[in-house]
Amino acid sequence: MIDLLSDFLASPVMSASLLPALLIAVVTASMSVMVMAHRLSFLTVGVSHASLAGLGIAVSLSLPLLPIATLFSVAIALLLALMPKRQGISEDAGTGILFAGSMALGIVLISTATTTRVDLFGLLFGNILTVSANEKVWLYFLGTLILIVMLLASRAWWSIAFDAVTAEASGLPVNALRLLLYGLVGLTVILCVKLAGIVLTAGLLVLPAACAWLWGRSLASLWLLSVGFSVTGTCAGLIWSYAYEWPSGASVVLALCGLFVISWASNGIRASITTRN
Amino acid sequence: MAENIVKISHLRFGPANKPILDNISLSVEAGHFMGIVGPNGAGKSTLINIIAGLTQPDGGHIDLMGECLTRYSRRRLLKQIGFLHQLHDHQPRLPMRVSDVVAMGLGQYASPWKRTDQQAIKHALELVDMDKLTNSDFRQLSGGQRQRVRLARALVNKPKLLLLDEPSAALDSVSQDRLFRLLRRLCDETGMCAIMVEHDIAAISSHVDSVACLNRQIHHHAMKGENIPDDVWRGMYGDHIQIVAHDAGCIGCHPETGTHHHD
Repeated sequence: MIDLLSDFLASPVMSASLLPALLIAVVTASMSVMVMAHRLSFLTVGVSHASLAGLGIAVSLSLPLLPIATLFSVAIALLLALMPKRQGISEDAGTGILFAGSMALGIVLISTATTTRVDLFGLLFGNILTVSANEKVWLYFLGTLILIVMLLASRAWWSIAFDAVTAEASGLPVNALRLLLYGLVGLTVILCVKLAGIVLTAGLLVLPAACAWLWGRSLASLWLLSVGFSVTGTCAGLIWSYAYEWPSGASVVLALCGLFVISWASNGIRASITTRN
Repeated sequence: MAENIVKISHLRFGPANKPILDNISLSVEAGHFMGIVGPNGAGKSTLINIIAGLTQPDGGHIDLMGECLTRYSRRRLLKQIGFLHQLHDHQPRLPMRVSDVVAMGLGQYASPWKRTDQQAIKHALELVDMDKLTNSDFRQLSGGQRQRVRLARALVNKPKLLLLDEPSAALDSVSQDRLFRLLRRLCDETGMCAIMVEHDIAAISSHVDSVACLNRQIHHHAMKGENIPDDVWRGMYGDHIQIVAHDAGCIGCHPETGTHHHD
């Protein structure tokens, strides 16, 4: 085990990808608490899949992938926030429509693109090991921005998640804060695409908080636990990926799933012991 | 003369041909405890939501704390209001301590750089007799305990105006009486003004200073010791009214007979 760890840390590919992966772990863990609190799990699935259209547009027009995909994801997330209210469509139906339509557009655009520079497997399932220097700069910029906004707005978001009516009656700009949250979910999705891909991004944005939910008793403890689970899952996943040559994104999501099963089982056992006593 | 906390003039809400609220005019002073009663669909919650700035009226004028409630003054004025709305989330799902729930009522809660006023939280929980459960998991409390914590949240900012929409819905009769006594005491001691929507006039009548009988419009605004005429009850509830014996000292009773109207 120690040999494996030292080999892992000595590997130039792994050591280059470790810092961006850990940054993604911290950012997604922080955001996942709000995703769970506001019941936005399906939105993250929708936005991540819809981002394929943004990537398709970037590929077709030979534009930089991540910035264009970022703009597209944020636009889709904001559209999802606004559409149900304006048109009387439920949020899950709106997400389903945009998710399917954007994904179809993305597939058509990418399949007809003349360029061969697109790693479709990497886009769908992620590969943090191939992160370029430019992408790293973009990831650090996005990650820092998301964390700063989170720090400033988390209490207001928490208050809205607990009781939106009372939050509005206390003078909080609930609609504007909701839009900000949705936009930030769009940004976070793009941050995750490099590690977990379009298909597995929702795992990074739901599983850390889902594990923490079983143990946490306050916002602060939830956040700390969520970050703890996310960092542990990311490190374990990357080590698995290195040891067995598994895809990195899938390994991280599998490790997080494992942590969730352990948390859920331990919590169930703890609850049954408490009930018996 | 006490400061006017709420002054509503000719308020209207809803379609012109079938308004939900029509020509509502009310004045409530500091320290006054007012109950609003009326049948289902009378517009009680709508009126409370309009005063709380959650719903825009279609006509009329509202002054809160002597200042006109507009889109621009709304946020500032609402910081002086406590609000306890009708209970919907019977199964809270966010992992939170009781003190975290109460902290959300603090004016500076949303600002991460401001320190949480633990003293104010402790005081608010003492008021509702929940200070022993400060660190308990909110999800594990009973419905009545949760409602008391929500009330502490509404009170923690020491509001000038407290709006309550059926606050006793989750409470047993002893807890209800304790809640109304607490509100009475707060109005008397702190000068807070409270406006409370309730279904049961009998439960609140001995605690409040006045009762507004609402069904689309205010049919009557009875002060303590004042009789509510029979035609007001019939105007609100129709002719299906029973007269039952009740405490002669409360609002709405016939002073000479000690009777009270119920639907």
